[in-house]
Amino acid sequence: MLKYVIKRILLMIPVLIIMSLFVFMIFYFAPGDPVSRIAGPNATPEVYESIKKKYGLDQPFIVQYLRFAKSVIEGDLGISILQERPVIEMIRERLPVTLQIGLLGFLVTFAIAIPAGVIAAVKKNTAVDYLCMTGSLVGIAIPTFWLGMLLLYVFAYKLRWFPISGDGTARQLVLLSFAIGLTNAAITARMVRSSMLEILKQDYVRTARSKGLSEKIVVYRHALKNALIPVITLMGLRLGWIIGGSVALEIIFSIPGIGRLLVDSILARDYPVVQGAMIVLTSSIILANVLADILYTVVDPRIRYS
Amino acid sequence: MYQGKDVEIYAGKKLLEGEEEKAKELEKKNVLGDFIKRLFRHKGAVIGIIIIFLFIFTAVFAPWLTSYSYDKPDISVMLKAPCREHIFGTDEFGRDIFTRIVFGARISLKVAFISVVFSLVIGTILGAVAGYYGGVVDYVISSITDIAWSFPTTLLAIAFIAALGTGLENVIIAIVLASWSGYCRVVRGQFLSLKEREFVEAARVLGMSDARIIFRHILPNSVTPVVVMATLELPKAIVIEASLSFLGLGAQPPLPSWGVILDSGKGLLEQAPWISLFPGLMIMLVVLGFNLFGDALRDVLDPKS
Repeated sequence: MLKYVIKRILLMIPVLIIMSLFVFMIFYFAPGDPVSRIAGPNATPEVYESIKKKYGLDQPFIVQYLRFAKSVIEGDLGISILQERPVIEMIRERLPVTLQIGLLGFLVTFAIAIPAGVIAAVKKNTAVDYLCMTGSLVGIAIPTFWLGMLLLYVFAYKLRWFPISGDGTARQLVLLSFAIGLTNAAITARMVRSSMLEILKQDYVRTARSKGLSEKIVVYRHALKNALIPVITLMGLRLGWIIGGSVALEIIFSIPGIGRLLVDSILARDYPVVQGAMIVLTSSIILANVLADILYTVVDPRIRYS
Repeated sequence: MYQGKDVEIYAGKKLLEGEEEKAKELEKKNVLGDFIKRLFRHKGAVIGIIIIFLFIFTAVFAPWLTSYSYDKPDISVMLKAPCREHIFGTDEFGRDIFTRIVFGARISLKVAFISVVFSLVIGTILGAVAGYYGGVVDYVISSITDIAWSFPTTLLAIAFIAALGTGLENVIIAIVLASWSGYCRVVRGQFLSLKEREFVEAARVLGMSDARIIFRHILPNSVTPVVVMATLELPKAIVIEASLSFLGLGAQPPLPSWGVILDSGKGLLEQAPWISLFPGLMIMLVVLGFNLFGDALRDVLDPKS
């Protein structure tokens, strides 16, 4: 067990290296000359040269990369070209909001997907099942950012239950998290249903039933626990999807999260910020995947990796 | 020259070959006929096909479906709610939303088909090479594939746009670079299991070249999962294009990409909700159509079902 956990964590290292190389290349190969991007169009040749030296842009690719990697490990993500302050500081301001969105999004996902998936599985091939699965089919097809706009229109503009523009309060985040949670729930409900169906076929469920246990106890005590195990791993993978989806939603709800920082910086060509945001987002996705894998083995003692 | 018995054997062989070919053709026809019959008996497939056909029809015949221009402003009809002349209403420049959506279908489908074809080709070739040759080649390819695959496509595409710059061509490149890994994984898996089979062994013994074995013998046997996957990747590409354009990273106004229309509707949500309502509805419909068709294709093509 411990061996597997250590191995899984060590395996993260090459992934992180490739990821950082990729993020570095975004900056390196981005259109336009990086020096004049920093120096501005009206820089004198002297300023140009000094900036080239200062940022180490006269060095070969591999040296530049190693320097970049070293500073990232030290927690230094560079200085924003636009705002002229440390990127890490800007990210630290924005990250909590995005984390809250992710957390609330998962809460909404589970609150909808688990009951819907379980009911659909228990009442397989009945009207309830068809209703749940049709709902999930439609839910998967709805673009998250459009759903966000619909919710904003109905609940903020028409019903006035929620504030219209982003004040960063928890109330605003609720609406946004519903947008992201609903679509995610549509996919998750299908997973819960098929996982549940698989479990309900197992011998131990039949044993529990034949012992005379009530259907409720069989389903919720015995089957559900086991049915949720594969769902956990998939939730690790869904974190990335939630982050990707929250980029557009943060813009619609004008909430200052890290996704909006990313897009604004791409449009403004503030590459150090783009790199910083990408590094933070991708590392958290990698970490989430590894944690989900480890959690999977903890929850399910039958699984042993050598 | 054939003599006596030899002639008989030769003739018999020819006869047999002829019969075999006939039987093969018959079987092919049957398989295809059976496939189409089963597909059309599948409710989801039929609904999916109808939706997809409607959108392709709209995209192809866009100029004939409307009398308005998608980019010419008309200040006399600014922000009109849906009415008889403008069934989906007009935007802040007085442009007909229906017209913009109809022409937007061209952009959506074009981006989706081109990007899926390219990512399919790249992913399939890499997966075939990795699965067939194994060893170090496989290790390198599948490590990169696994990493690329573990990131959400939208986020990857945004990262590539950061490097490439905005615009529709770059959206296509970004989607290709962000989505080839799925095909690679599937094809590699297929090759790993198929290359140990007798018919591949036989082809190798006969001295066929690797390329011939890969393309003529193994690849045709792994077409099914790739086709299903491609069908399900098309709607994803449509959504990514719309999202990127919505964020200002893809198609630029006045191009009528559905994402661009949604972006312009975002600020006018209170005064003119119809600008945002219809393009989103179209995205939902077309995605639903492809998903229904893709799921049905998987059910029908899966021999286990």
